[in-house]
Amino acid sequence: MVNIVKHKWVFFTISIVLSVISIISLIFRGFNLDTDFAGGIALTYEIAGDFTTADVEQIVNGSLDGRTASSVQKSGNEVIIKIGYENGLTDEERNTYSNETRDAVTQALEAQYGAPVTDAASTDATATETTDTAAATDATTADTADATTEDAATADTAEATTEDAATADTTEATTEDAAAADTDAAATTDETAATDTTADASADLLSGARLKSMDVISPSSGQELARSALWMSLLACAGILIYVTIRFEFTSGCVAIIALVHDVLLLLGLYSLLQWSVNINFIAAVLTVLGYSINNTIVIMDRIRENTRHSRKETYAEIANTSILQTMTRSINTTVTTLLTIGMVYILGVQSIQAFALPIIIGIVFGFYSSVFISGPLWATWRDSAVTAKRNNAAANSKNAKGGKKK
Amino acid sequence: MSRSLVKFAAIIVVIAALLYVGLFGLDFTNTVRFPGITDSDGITQGLDLKGGTVIVFKAQTDSPSEDDMDTAVNMLRQRLDFQGYTEASVTQQGSDKIRVELPDVQDSEQAVDTLGATAQLEFQDAAGNIIMSGSDVSDARAEYGQTEQGVSQNSYYITLELTDEGRQKFAAATAEVAAQASQGTNYIAIMMDGQVLTAPSVREQIDSDTCVITGDFTAEEANSLAANIKSGQLPFTLQPDEVRVVSATLGEEALSQAILAGVIGMILVMLFMLVIYRLLGLMADIALLFYISVTFIILSVFHVNLTLPGIAGIILAIGMAVDANVVIFERIKEELKLGKTVRSAVEAGFHRALAAVIDSNVTTIISAAILWWLGTGTIKGFGMTLLLGVVISMISAIFVTRLLLRQMIGMNVKNLWLYGINKKKENGESLKGGEA
Repeated sequence: MVNIVKHKWVFFTISIVLSVISIISLIFRGFNLDTDFAGGIALTYEIAGDFTTADVEQIVNGSLDGRTASSVQKSGNEVIIKIGYENGLTDEERNTYSNETRDAVTQALEAQYGAPVTDAASTDATATETTDTAAATDATTADTADATTEDAATADTAEATTEDAATADTTEATTEDAAAADTDAAATTDETAATDTTADASADLLSGARLKSMDVISPSSGQELARSALWMSLLACAGILIYVTIRFEFTSGCVAIIALVHDVLLLLGLYSLLQWSVNINFIAAVLTVLGYSINNTIVIMDRIRENTRHSRKETYAEIANTSILQTMTRSINTTVTTLLTIGMVYILGVQSIQAFALPIIIGIVFGFYSSVFISGPLWATWRDSAVTAKRNNAAANSKNAKGGKKK
Repeated sequence: MSRSLVKFAAIIVVIAALLYVGLFGLDFTNTVRFPGITDSDGITQGLDLKGGTVIVFKAQTDSPSEDDMDTAVNMLRQRLDFQGYTEASVTQQGSDKIRVELPDVQDSEQAVDTLGATAQLEFQDAAGNIIMSGSDVSDARAEYGQTEQGVSQNSYYITLELTDEGRQKFAAATAEVAAQASQGTNYIAIMMDGQVLTAPSVREQIDSDTCVITGDFTAEEANSLAANIKSGQLPFTLQPDEVRVVSATLGEEALSQAILAGVIGMILVMLFMLVIYRLLGLMADIALLFYISVTFIILSVFHVNLTLPGIAGIILAIGMAVDANVVIFERIKEELKLGKTVRSAVEAGFHRALAAVIDSNVTTIISAAILWWLGTGTIKGFGMTLLLGVVISMISAIFVTRLLLRQMIGMNVKNLWLYGINKKKENGESLKGGEA
């Protein structure tokens, strides 16, 4: 039989070392705070064609009037640019600066990569205005578009009609048509158009750079968010602590909380060490981990509770080990099912949701580790040492008593 | 056996019906009607999915009063209505912030300017001369009753109370305006931000500290009008604290990817359960369909504002949903290995696993509830769907799966392999199917 409790010091050492590294990193490196917390401007552009992070960074910094972007990150055909605020700006100045910065960056990128040329069918109102030329192209390819719109419509575009391809194209058709309007695809067979449609629902940027999303956050707002995040975490910890103490005896409750703190500490430590950016979604992920990673621990503690009731002879170490092994399949299987779903979210999701799924995945893995390798052994060590202490005390007392008699 | 079969079939039919309703809604001769998840009037897509602008304004004053905040929220709502953004939402956030969500607005700069501007309540005559402003009105309230002598019909009207200065200005202006009766310009327009709220006609000079505005008001209109006149101007300046703009295409891509992730994730989980737990897994999969149907129905019936993290919450909950089943099934397998009959093993499995299932879910519920309660923006949505998911999944895992399994036993399905036990590995002696 595998004896996890026997090798407990291996696991304890690993966890202690990782925890110490995490704490040191949290103190000395801190977090790479995203605009959500630090305040600033985050601009996401979609750029058609090839580009490199370095190129974009150079262009952006050139447009910033002596300042530099705090980060430029490429993700597929998108680039996320983050720019901080100068200290001591008034609200109005900050507001103006945000707008000016957005315009400056947009202009600079458009100067390099061209103004956004999209299918006129784009649902983006501003894009529609700037794409008269694209509309003209559409008109000329109306015939081919006619054929492909049919595909798009069957592909599940509700609004596009085949009766009047030209009007459908310019007014009603949704982005599903995007592929159809791609002149190359339209010129070739219906088949390619169909595959394009399924490949990318947002293929309506034909060339140029386009602003996809913008976040402007004031520094004070970020501080408030940080404060509320801290409150939420403390409250969740307190709530879980209270519940676990009520439901389990003191030692189990403490062990569950230690395992929980361990999971979150390692998660925070990892983000601090690697300087991965921490935003509001990360907080939600941490709270999810707070609630979920304790699941396995609780099931093990529940089994220990039951086994303790049934056995008299076994040591606490034996009970703990049996309980861990009895629940092992369960621990693995529940972790796997949860990882299957959240893993799909990570693999298929857009960038913002990936940043949300990743800490949950990491937290769940840490949670599995701490439940199986830390919580049970820790409980046994604690209980056994309490027994030993009692015995020693008893021995000491009786010795003292005897000594007393001798005197 | 046949009774169990009928029951089993009935459960399947019910779940299939729920799934249908969840997806496509219910339309019962147009009298009983509610939308499904695929209907456009079902779930409300959050701004991060359909695109739009979120602006969080902060009151530029220290600790504004609740009244002032209410006033400001009402004013912003009114302004948006004027501009035709009827779908926009305005909510108070924290003690000193107002969150405005505008669907499909791309020009955030303009939105910030128009919304954040201090509103101007003005009384103008036909020529556009400003008679007085909001500061001359001390109070305004909506009332209901007879407005004119000889008219028996009651209606809603608004009573204005003027300050002394306002009374003088108003008396002078009404005298002047009433004189224009022959030219048809004897009205005073009450304007808010340049939009005419109402333009009552003036028949004679009014020299009183109260005056009445009549019109074809509904109770709601009269109340909001009174509130707006009363507030007149924003009690404080508003500065944008947070501006987020998401283009519709980004949202659309995010949505389709999230749905794909959900579908694939769910299929994987179902396959996993089927392979590991066989018949038990199949029952869990059916219970999972029940879970997803109920989730869909709740989301669309309550028009939940679904955000991207909200969808992630639902998907995450699919993985967590089978959690309870795994705990229970492992327990059932243990009981079977001890040589119990299938029937008693199933009952004992559910009974003994219950505490662990509840305990382990409560902690997730605590976290999710806090996110829902204290979180802002998209996080709130995540907390809500996660909470919803965990609660429904726990119920379906405990009750629906048990109900299904009882029917299986009733149908005399006793092959232990179907219950996830591999005969070769186990001690043959302890593996009696037993009598159910």
